[in-house]
Amino acid sequence: MAILEIKHVSKFFGGLSANSDVSFEMQQGMIMGLIGPNGAGKTTLFNCITGYYPPSKGDIIFDGRSMHGLQPDKVCKLGMARTWQKVRPLAKMSVVDNVMVGALCRTNSLKKARSMAMEQIKVVGLEHRSDFLAGGLPIGERKKLEVARVLATQPKMLLLDEVMGGLNPAESEEIIQLILAIKKLGITQMVIEHDMKAIMRISDRIVVLNSGEKLAEGSPQEVVSNPDVVTAYLGSE
Amino acid sequence: MRPLIRDIKGFGALRAIAGLAVIALLFLLPRFVENTYALHIMILIFISIVMGSSWNLLGGYTGQYSVGHCAYFGMGAYTTMMLMQFRQVPPWFGIWGGMVVALLVALIIGSICFRLRGPYFVLASIAVAEIFRVSALNLKEITNGAEGILATEIPPLKIGGTLITDFSSKVPFYYTGLVFVLFVITVTWLLQNSKLGYYFQAIREDQDAAHSLGISLTIYKNVALSISAVLTSLAGSLYAVYVGFIDPSTVLALDLSVQIVLICIIGGIGTIFGPVIGALVLVPLSEALRSNMIGEFLINSGGVKADSAFGSFLTENLSHAHVLIYGILVVVVILFMPDGVLGFVKTLTARKRKEAA
Repeated sequence: MAILEIKHVSKFFGGLSANSDVSFEMQQGMIMGLIGPNGAGKTTLFNCITGYYPPSKGDIIFDGRSMHGLQPDKVCKLGMARTWQKVRPLAKMSVVDNVMVGALCRTNSLKKARSMAMEQIKVVGLEHRSDFLAGGLPIGERKKLEVARVLATQPKMLLLDEVMGGLNPAESEEIIQLILAIKKLGITQMVIEHDMKAIMRISDRIVVLNSGEKLAEGSPQEVVSNPDVVTAYLGSE
Repeated sequence: MRPLIRDIKGFGALRAIAGLAVIALLFLLPRFVENTYALHIMILIFISIVMGSSWNLLGGYTGQYSVGHCAYFGMGAYTTMMLMQFRQVPPWFGIWGGMVVALLVALIIGSICFRLRGPYFVLASIAVAEIFRVSALNLKEITNGAEGILATEIPPLKIGGTLITDFSSKVPFYYTGLVFVLFVITVTWLLQNSKLGYYFQAIREDQDAAHSLGISLTIYKNVALSISAVLTSLAGSLYAVYVGFIDPSTVLALDLSVQIVLICIIGGIGTIFGPVIGALVLVPLSEALRSNMIGEFLINSGGVKADSAFGSFLTENLSHAHVLIYGILVVVVILFMPDGVLGFVKTLTARKRKEAA
């Protein structure tokens, strides 16, 4: 059974359609790449899925349940967590406190939350930073902190919005390894990414958006050889 | 928010002992100090700490800058006073009434204002508080309107026939204030070390991120406001009974709301002891300026001749300009200590430690 079904989702801002009639399914444990040129509606789709915007039309079924009208906090409690394209560290709180806020979604005890947080901090490799203020971290570590924080909410599914954006190749490689490690934990992931090489390597399937519409869907090989996708990215002759 | 264990060891133990010593001294103070003016200042400081700390829970920890906290202060003051004066309910019961009314008002205001964010929330909070001031001014049958309410008699506090106090001196108010201060600080400390405290701070730092981590903004913002409002009403009730007179322009005024915010900003926002420091700085400062203590001190010490131009300026003009000077001093403090006095001291000690190392 599909863990996530996007059914004919459209989102209009006034007269502008940011998503129109997007549909696809995701299977448990897979990594879905979501690509498309700037302004294609990738982040809007994320916002619709995670409850920040109600879709104008269509429905989103997660784990057999319609997400219609649910607020982001409920979405998170149901097991779907997201990161942000522009990282949002809780700047004046320490790294471990940041991750604890995520863990507190599942427990009321600070002690338990702290040990859960330390576990996730180890997974992303930020142990040496746990007492630092989150606002003082360099961008690469902030991205890892975002991932640790959402992992601490014990999600069934993660939506990662450009976690490799602005990173150098070595840092990107670390994130790729992290995403693959998360896959091994059985967590389904949807990844927005501009780095084509990276997305080809990690994705099981890819959905291409262009001007708000689904342009193509398939395995990485199918997608790169699709003439429509090539046109959207490189322009036609 | 450091782990507790680190606080108990070493430096933390020293601080705990120092804290207990200060509390003990404060409890013994009225036995040695007979000067009613000194006690009066202490009571004013206590009231300021209570209202500052209460605001701090919402503004400092949760990041929702309400500039309408006089509404809750006024609710406490008016409920306690009206019950005492018109219904003969003694104030130690009236205070509970004040807390309940403040809670109800907070829930109403919260459900309206928390639809807005940032500066729009600030403006809405001012507007709603003004509604209460204007209502109190015009509902003459209930509140006496602009005449205000004067307390004619406070019933003596008796427990089982033995007289505890008849409120004839300032001492019972001093102890009430002190207990309120300890209560509010304890509540702040407990919050800081709880799930609620973490959630409040997460909302302060980034509400969208907090929302995505499973924090319901509506619920937790309203919880923060409710706790803050109930505690603020304590300060209002104490003020009303202590001063013995309230009217809309003192307990429901915008200046009071600003004063509450200033206590926190001057002391250090989002820290347990920030409002304490803020009150310790602001209350004596405004009293000294109001009574022209500084000018008199300069003249009496012989630094400035009373009949010189500067001396007459001090006595004639300056005493009337205390609000202006107060304002300038506040601006200077905010400019040079953006993190408040507490934050300033912390950076200073950190710098010294760095130089020593």
